[in-house]
Amino acid sequence: MATTSFTAPKLSSPTFQTLCRNFPLSLPIPKTLSSFSFHLSPFLSRFHLHHHHYHPPRFHPRRLFAVRAESENGAEPIRHYDFDLFTIGAGSGGVRASRFAANFGASVAVCELPFSTISSETTGGVGGTCVLRGCVPKKLMVYASKYSHEFDESNGFGWKYDTEPKHDWSTLMANKNAELQRLTGIYKNILNKAGVTLIEGRGKIVDPHTVDVDGKLYTARNILISVGGRPFIPDIPGREYAIDSDAALDLPSKPEKVAIVGGGYIALEFAGIFNGLTSEVHVFIRQKKVLRGFDEEIRDFVGEQMALRGIQFHTEESPQAIVKSADGSLSLKTNKGTIEGFSHIMLATGRRPNTKNLGLESVGVKINKNGAIEVDEYSRTTVPSIWAVGDVTDRINLTPVALMEGAALAKTLFQNEPTKPDYRAVPSAVFSQPPIGQVGLTEEQAIKEYGDIDVYTANFRPLKATLSGLPDRVFMKLIVCAKTNKVIGLHMCGEDSAEIAQGFAVAVKAGLTKADFDATVGIHPTSAEEFVTMRSPTRKIRQSSESQGNMGHEAKTAAGV
Amino acid sequence: MARKMLVDEEMNQTNQEEAHYDFDLFVIGAGSGGVRAARFSANYGAKVGICELPFHPISSEVIGGVGGTCVIRGCVPKKILVYGAAFGSELEDARNYGWELNEKLDFNWKKLLHKKTDEIIRLNGIYKRLLSNAGVKLFEGEGKIVGPNEVEVTQLDGTKLSYSAKHILIATGSRAHRPPIPGQELGITSDEALSLEDLPKHAVVLGGGYIAVEFASIWRGLGANVDLFFRKELPLRGFDDEMRAVVARNLERRGINLHPQTNLTELIKTDNGIKVTTDHGEELIADVVLFATGRLPNSKRLNLEAVGVELDNTGAVKVDEYSRTSIPSVWAVGDVTNRMNLTPVALMEGTCFAKTVFGKEPSKPDYSHVPCAVFSIPPLSVVGLSEEQAIEQANGDVLVFTSTFNPMKNTVSGRQEKTVMKLVVDAETDKVLGASMCGPDAPEIMQGIAVALQCGATKAQFDSTVGIHPSAAEEFVTMRSVSRRITCRGKPKTNL
Repeated sequence: MATTSFTAPKLSSPTFQTLCRNFPLSLPIPKTLSSFSFHLSPFLSRFHLHHHHYHPPRFHPRRLFAVRAESENGAEPIRHYDFDLFTIGAGSGGVRASRFAANFGASVAVCELPFSTISSETTGGVGGTCVLRGCVPKKLMVYASKYSHEFDESNGFGWKYDTEPKHDWSTLMANKNAELQRLTGIYKNILNKAGVTLIEGRGKIVDPHTVDVDGKLYTARNILISVGGRPFIPDIPGREYAIDSDAALDLPSKPEKVAIVGGGYIALEFAGIFNGLTSEVHVFIRQKKVLRGFDEEIRDFVGEQMALRGIQFHTEESPQAIVKSADGSLSLKTNKGTIEGFSHIMLATGRRPNTKNLGLESVGVKINKNGAIEVDEYSRTTVPSIWAVGDVTDRINLTPVALMEGAALAKTLFQNEPTKPDYRAVPSAVFSQPPIGQVGLTEEQAIKEYGDIDVYTANFRPLKATLSGLPDRVFMKLIVCAKTNKVIGLHMCGEDSAEIAQGFAVAVKAGLTKADFDATVGIHPTSAEEFVTMRSPTRKIRQSSESQGNMGHEAKTAAGV
Repeated sequence: MARKMLVDEEMNQTNQEEAHYDFDLFVIGAGSGGVRAARFSANYGAKVGICELPFHPISSEVIGGVGGTCVIRGCVPKKILVYGAAFGSELEDARNYGWELNEKLDFNWKKLLHKKTDEIIRLNGIYKRLLSNAGVKLFEGEGKIVGPNEVEVTQLDGTKLSYSAKHILIATGSRAHRPPIPGQELGITSDEALSLEDLPKHAVVLGGGYIAVEFASIWRGLGANVDLFFRKELPLRGFDDEMRAVVARNLERRGINLHPQTNLTELIKTDNGIKVTTDHGEELIADVVLFATGRLPNSKRLNLEAVGVELDNTGAVKVDEYSRTSIPSVWAVGDVTNRMNLTPVALMEGTCFAKTVFGKEPSKPDYSHVPCAVFSIPPLSVVGLSEEQAIEQANGDVLVFTSTFNPMKNTVSGRQEKTVMKLVVDAETDKVLGASMCGPDAPEIMQGIAVALQCGATKAQFDSTVGIHPSAAEEFVTMRSVSRRITCRGKPKTNL
């Protein structure tokens, strides 16, 4: 778990040595960047060594700049900057890019807003969404809430409770916040150890090479925007009574009866959390099913399983207004009617890039209609010296993807190795209860992209449930390209899905075939072994009648082997 | 090569002589390997009979049951007890997450045991149905080989049935072995341990293998005092040394008393329980003494020597790569051959057997990259080579990547237990040679990694895989720096 990398940051000095050995280098010019002249300038590096004003506490014999984005026509004189890289936003992507850049020899500063569990225009905190308002606190709450299910399970295994276990909300919040404080400290430490200058305050871009942090100006050869995203609250009457996910992670007391508006992963995760912590939970979704964009069968399955655990779903209901009554309780008015008596109404209606008040428009950084910064494959914005990674670019909004983008950017800029993040087969998880793990294409996407596919599914009662007597089931699915036999999609909903999917993601990313899966021996008794013991397809999907004929022929040949 | 020709030759003969045999295949033993081979052979169109001893949770010469060790006396009941025992520490961990529980939690062993037995009876029924659905004829009784193509089944009432079969498959598995020490009759084996009337208060476990550490974990998790005795310095001989040390540390931290390099010399019955004496002169009183000192192939009462089926000195049936014994019409799969004694391996051997003999597709089981798990609490799971094996077999350098971390759950629960992961990589080819993990969910996590290793995945391919955050498993794809590099070239190939 990521906590290791916090406690023991691994500084990659071998890479630095490699760099020195390879120096000087000639840089291949990436196509998308070819309008700018890139080359190495040993002179420039030496120049900088003497002039940059910040010396990291440890190393470096020599500054190296792999990429120089200036015009080489002699129009602009060699310019001195305070930093090689100035990063705005110290979340997953920003910290990763900054650390790696520093390790590659760059002088780096990063600015971030003061710490708070709830983000705003003036608060944030080193660690960003993942550590303070996302993955980490969410997962801790999931751990806490899962216990009520475990208590039920344990009954079936002979454990008995004289009094029903009670949950103390304040203990959980205190312990969770202590952990977040610890983590934000670790993140600061990581930056410090890497020799990155941390500046507390709000960063704003003044010109392509200048950042203003609360009135102080810093110049930088490159600027990185990694300010992330924030919950989006739809404009409905009474929205001020609603909470978003930031607030939901830090409530002062247990919500007795909560309405969650939204059908995405955040909505489902919180539904599971509050349900497990014994709140009455109602989920309102606009569509017929939860988790738009996920595999249809997974959508059905997770909805059923969550309903079995006591969550009430209200489908095809859109919120129209929130009304606060005299007794302080809240009512949610939807297109279908009004439900009263909520202690809390949470809007989990999406997130938007944090691009306001950054000065982007004035320097010419282009933003799309959702507010996301437009970047090329190397995370470069429309201004050559300004780059962006993470949720602010709204590509795939996941911590490990921001880390990948940050690492790729550091390589591109400071290791003479133009690197594109690779978005193929990015696995992800939903920490609903039960959780979902997946990698690759959904069945619907696979049909669209490949036409002919074989689908293998398993829907079973896990060993634990046979003893516990609970209605828990596990659903697994493999999607195989009929022509190449490659596994192009893998989906699971059930206990441990997130952990199970990771190893398979390596296999799917490596382009392994169904035959490779079959050749792997199972680990018995596990749920995961089901993925290597799926012998006959549940269905074969063939697109055109023409290809069906072809497939029939191929299938026969295959069967004869 | 010769083997393949032999098979083909027989295929031709089959066409002419089919009618002479009662069965195309007669299987002795309906455990994992036997049932798999029987079903698949039947699916290929063979006429199959199978015999198995009557059902009982505790096996002997005359009782067993359809499903075999895995279902009745192994994997399944063991995992059920591990689930039950794991709740002990789970519930402790709940407190820091805000849950208020009674100081002392009630655990009802009889209830768990009863439900466990219900479940294995249910599975026994499912296995029987699987066989009948596949068209396999099941006989209850003890099977014996009386000729290269002749079996005899002694039924419960003593009557004997005799059948001829084109092929005979021995899949009788193995049984726990007891060490020859005075008072050994006072001890129990894993069979009885899975069906104890009462939860032990003080258990002594002899053995350092996976069965020993699993039972130690089960009993400790349910509140018993446990002393674990083993011959080596660390438990789990054959596994990666670093991981063995991790398991030992975890067991100890969870309150199991470890006695390395110690053997038991005598058991004596006393009024207070069983007095256990060690070769270090220590004495302990225990209410249960478990011998987890290995298992031996079940080959004694099959009349194998008489028909010329060769056994090795441990009693295992000798087979070639296609699972064929020294008698061409007699084959053997699973623990009785003592190759790699795991259920999924027996399944693989059974499948390969059916393909070879009835599917016209000679198939050898592939023993490389077989993953496995030890369901200690927390569990260990591995695939591929240990660091020591990798160094032993390497031509060039070996890179070792390790990660030791505090699982996120522990940051709030306060449990002091690190998860350890390890990748062993060939420096020259970048291939991942081995992976291991000790920590929660390790067996579930390792299965996908096993697919990658089976296909020769490189470290670069691991690195290029994006993590699933926050999970423990993501650590396997984010190990950036080498923990150590072991130079093997020119190094004499000796082991400690």
